[in-house]
Amino acid sequence: MSGVMRPETEAELAEIVAGAAGPLAIQGGGTRRIGGAEGAVLETSGLSGVVLYEPAALTLVVRAGTPLAEVEALLAGERQRLAFEPLDMRQVLGRTGVSTIGGVVAANASGPRRVQSGAARDALIGVRFVSGRGEVVKSGGRVMKNVTGYDLVKLMAGSHGTLGVLSELSFKLQAQPEVEATLILEGLDDGPGLAALRRALGSPFDVSGVARVSGRSVVRLEGLAGSVAYRVGQLRAVLPGDVSVVEGEASAEIWRNVRDLAPLQGPEGDLWRISCLPTHAAELAAAMGGTVLFDRAGGQVSMVLPEGQGEALQKALAGRGQAILLRGAGALPFARSSAEVLALSAGLKSAFDPKALFNPAQSRGLF
Amino acid sequence: MDMPQPNARIIARKSSILALLSQVLPPDAVIGDPAETRAYECDALAAYRCQPLAVVLPRTTEEVSAVLRICHAEGVPVVPRGAGTSLAGGSMPTEDAVVMGLARMTRVIETDYENRFIHVETGRTNLSVTQAVEAEGFFYAPDPSSQLACAIGGNIGMNSGGAHCLKYGVTTNNLLGVRMVLMDGTVTTIGGPWDEPGSLDLLGVVCGSEGQLGVVTEAWLRILPKPEGARPVLVGFAENEVAGACVADIIRAGVLPVAIEFMDRPCIEATEAFAKAGYPDCEALLIIEVEGSEAEIAEQLAKIKEIALRHNPVEFREAQDEDQARRIWLGRKSAFGAMGQINDYMCLDGTIPVSSLPYVLRRIGEMSAEFGLGVGNVFHAGDGNMHPLILYNANKPGDLALCEAFGAEILKLCVEVGGCLTGEHGVGIEKRDLMVVQFAPVDLEAQMRVKDVFDPQWLLNPAKVFPLAVSAGRRDAVTTGPGASPRTPGIFEDRKCQA
Amino acid sequence: MQTHFTEAQLADPGVARANEILRSCVHCGFCTATCPTYQVLGDELDSPRGRIYLIKDMLEAGRPADAQTVKHVDRCLSCLSCMTTCPSGVHYMHLVDHARVHIEKTYRRPWVDRMLRNVLAFVLPHPGRMRLALLGAKIIRPFRRLLPDARLRAMVEMAPKTIPPVSRNDDPQVFAATAPRRMRVALLTGCAQKALNTDINDATIRLLRRLGCEVVVAKGQGCCGALTHHMGKEDQAHSAAAANIHAWMAERRGAGLDAVVINTSGCGTTVKDYGHMFRNDPLAADAAEIAGLAKDISEVLAQIGLPQGAPREMRVAYHAACSLQHGQQIKSAPKDLLKRVGYEVVEPADSHLCCGSAGTYNLLQPEISAQLKARKLATLEAKAPQVIAAGNIGCMMQLGSGASVPVVHTVELLDWATGGPMPRALHESA
Repeated sequence: MSGVMRPETEAELAEIVAGAAGPLAIQGGGTRRIGGAEGAVLETSGLSGVVLYEPAALTLVVRAGTPLAEVEALLAGERQRLAFEPLDMRQVLGRTGVSTIGGVVAANASGPRRVQSGAARDALIGVRFVSGRGEVVKSGGRVMKNVTGYDLVKLMAGSHGTLGVLSELSFKLQAQPEVEATLILEGLDDGPGLAALRRALGSPFDVSGVARVSGRSVVRLEGLAGSVAYRVGQLRAVLPGDVSVVEGEASAEIWRNVRDLAPLQGPEGDLWRISCLPTHAAELAAAMGGTVLFDRAGGQVSMVLPEGQGEALQKALAGRGQAILLRGAGALPFARSSAEVLALSAGLKSAFDPKALFNPAQSRGLF
Repeated sequence: MDMPQPNARIIARKSSILALLSQVLPPDAVIGDPAETRAYECDALAAYRCQPLAVVLPRTTEEVSAVLRICHAEGVPVVPRGAGTSLAGGSMPTEDAVVMGLARMTRVIETDYENRFIHVETGRTNLSVTQAVEAEGFFYAPDPSSQLACAIGGNIGMNSGGAHCLKYGVTTNNLLGVRMVLMDGTVTTIGGPWDEPGSLDLLGVVCGSEGQLGVVTEAWLRILPKPEGARPVLVGFAENEVAGACVADIIRAGVLPVAIEFMDRPCIEATEAFAKAGYPDCEALLIIEVEGSEAEIAEQLAKIKEIALRHNPVEFREAQDEDQARRIWLGRKSAFGAMGQINDYMCLDGTIPVSSLPYVLRRIGEMSAEFGLGVGNVFHAGDGNMHPLILYNANKPGDLALCEAFGAEILKLCVEVGGCLTGEHGVGIEKRDLMVVQFAPVDLEAQMRVKDVFDPQWLLNPAKVFPLAVSAGRRDAVTTGPGASPRTPGIFEDRKCQA
Repeated sequence: MQTHFTEAQLADPGVARANEILRSCVHCGFCTATCPTYQVLGDELDSPRGRIYLIKDMLEAGRPADAQTVKHVDRCLSCLSCMTTCPSGVHYMHLVDHARVHIEKTYRRPWVDRMLRNVLAFVLPHPGRMRLALLGAKIIRPFRRLLPDARLRAMVEMAPKTIPPVSRNDDPQVFAATAPRRMRVALLTGCAQKALNTDINDATIRLLRRLGCEVVVAKGQGCCGALTHHMGKEDQAHSAAAANIHAWMAERRGAGLDAVVINTSGCGTTVKDYGHMFRNDPLAADAAEIAGLAKDISEVLAQIGLPQGAPREMRVAYHAACSLQHGQQIKSAPKDLLKRVGYEVVEPADSHLCCGSAGTYNLLQPEISAQLKARKLATLEAKAPQVIAAGNIGCMMQLGSGASVPVVHTVELLDWATGGPMPRALHESA
């Protein structure tokens, strides 16, 4: 098999996989792949289009190759959105192309609102995919609560195309808020700046973003106008630093930058994304140096480091979290795992893809 | 309910198995006397019962691991049990199985408010997790109706939901990590107190796997700051259809109540007779709860009221104080008990797209007349999670079978309209044979392959989730020769337990 | 739940009632969450749901009780927390009482058990014998470690160090109201209580008279029957209860009675159940009438109303006796009364859990009882009270043996705040 394969239907996709003799590199828009592309390219962009959209039930079913922008435009027309705020990593990873909804799910790519509304995996309520056996498998469905059988939906989200090719996805949606506002806290060092974010996140004021970027701590509030005004006032009264408030587009811009790791797009070097305890973040950043963006009140730390800092980073983490190398030599979508987790992952890989067809480069993280 | 033929060889070796278990557990942690194991023959689905071989009540992960190692070596099936509150028979034993009760593992290991998690042993009850953190203004969000009694371990097994999951999600959305013992005794940690696993989402598939992949002994759970306040309103309607349309409009409008509960006339009448909550005389009522400060609550309720009034409700009742709020919830919370006063009941929990509510309720009413069995509906309307309670007389021969047939028809209807068999109770024993209605053979095969990886011998929580005919090949491969013939080697067979 | 009784079995009214109760249970398991013994032991067999299952099995089979079933039923405190929790209204009390009678009739306990139970049944309900026993315990106390049985040791240890003299107030008589008369009430003066503590009845009488009640200590009344009832000794219990019914009905038919006042809530639960106890007896009508007249002292006081008092600078930890909060569903009245007369009232965490006293339970199940006592004291003392108040002598003895602050009856504090003397226990600690 050579060249690019671009199935137009799920059945065609299954046929291609069933007949594949060698490795396949699954490609949505090619914007998010972490690690190399080995094997014949299998493009999903032909599997495009909305299958069902019920705004009154907050439900969307869409084919995996549908461009993310199309999905977002459709939802915006009904004043709805994907709650998990999918990020655009093209700039920071130096890619071009068109993000697809399948790629977003495969990477479990979730933005700052994760602290309030969860990740892509939390919004995903159903999947259809083609396994390495060439079988079309479905799990979940189109209803918000579903515990019928094992939750392969979660397993597929964030599996980076190592277990199957996503063909159709169902989401639980969220209504767009009436207004949004951001509190900006200036004049604080990382330690107190992050402590303020933890305090906001631990308050009853339902914050939907808590990040620290370019020396400023930012806290987002969304909802009905009266409610946002009230919560801004409450938080303003208790948070330290020089506090100012921006609303509307100015607020949205801040969060697009946090989401897409804008401050890390410039600097050269390895890009790491660390998931850790928020209270550990400042210490970790201080130990490593480099350019840093803190999201989730420090629960997610993205940093650009010189090459070869992997071991030092692991040492600083000391098992209290995990780190993924997004950009740089040896980048892989998975972090280091325990022997048991690796053995189970390898078991799942061979159960779903016994011929090891899918994304061989990414799959190395599973062994 | 068909159950697999128990393994006679295991039953014959009962005393030697008990002796082995007694070597790793204190005397009060091994129960083998048939007079005592009887009480463990069922959970909250008492219609299905099967007395186990033995019951063990470990106190530590190390004891859990030691027991599993023995059962693995001996080929003895193990049925994990939290508090035994499953409505789906999720912890119903088989005659050749050891029940592993986790009720003694209730410690809070760590509470970390700044990082918003609590680390607990999984025998701890759901409500007591919230009780452990509420003094600091936090709570654990998933709140199944049985939250007073149900264990976190069972919640993880079934991916439990609750009335308030419309806003906060279900167990899987609030679970950060687990410590789990695999069937061969290997102790492993999946996830942790941070929110990304950095691996395949094993936690996502463990949650909701009904105790068939491993025994979860500890969990890291997300705790959330308690909202400043909450207030319910009660809205009564003259027709189910109108109530359903009102729900759709509220959701559409972008107001996010934390709960929207629905009760139909039979259920309203039963709860009024039992709990006397003072509900209006109407066909359908909604209980809608919103959260926030006083002003925020008022803002949301004003929107909800405006929408509700467009649907000409027979009553719109706003709670003015704590006591009125309590009374609004009283009937809803008494619904199961109230139906139980009338007769035995079977509680289903199929989920349907919200748009199908009126049609499904009408069809259930028609089927109720066809089968000659009463049914009341009380459910989480915001997410379409139905809870039809079918009334029958357990002491009347043939009634259970009739009830099962009726239940199966309701669940098939749920699938037909685009929904599923179970929204939060789990498949268990109850819906096992209906799985083929929702899933094609390849779908089930994919799920069973996951089990093959975690529990290659299919010893954990046997005879659940997958129809017996579908899982026959796998179960036969291991039940033909436990303790005698060579078994499929597990991937952890040669690993030492890591405690 | 499905049950399997034959028509012949159901002809027995006791079995018929048990069947009715079992049928109302849906096996949901909520009761396990609030059961004290399940909290301590973590075995479903030591929870209400497990016991219901064991009892169901025993009764359906119609066989004599076996040792395992007896062990788990014996471990039940009869605190009735499960009844407060049960969403389906399962009457666990009647079921377990019936099971205890069945056990007493069909199970031969080991010799030591029988001896202990017979001694308790012989002594406790009779104040004279009780005083003698307490005296004996006082003498044996220094040598208690030599006793061969943990339960015997527990009995000796539970006995108070000082034994109050007999109070003449407990003799049959009529106390006139000292304020304009509004009610005529009988006071159950109790049995074990008046041997252990005479202050409670004295304070009750003073307080009631002051509030305009004529208080009758009826001739012929005695133990309410609860102690033997919970041991399954049906005949003894019934004869004690019948004597009370006769004594009070004589007053009711004579000078009239508006209430039977009970200041030991364990007794109150039983007296309020006389109607059920005698439902198949010629005394049924009288028993039901007395059951209807029975009131806890806090109910009567709430009905009469207490004068509002000025703040008293005293923090009272209110311990809810199970027989009051679960058995009689009286939850707020005692706290409201204490607050009304000026005390600051605090409540321990897990206030629904039993302190482990439970009638003769602390004597017969000393290990579980001790664990529950330790938990209760820890939660009470976490509230840093100056005094602990309870409405049941059993709880007072149990807590008093380990608490670092005095333990008094709620009525003693109410009496003090409305003109009576300071409770003796407070004097002693001051």
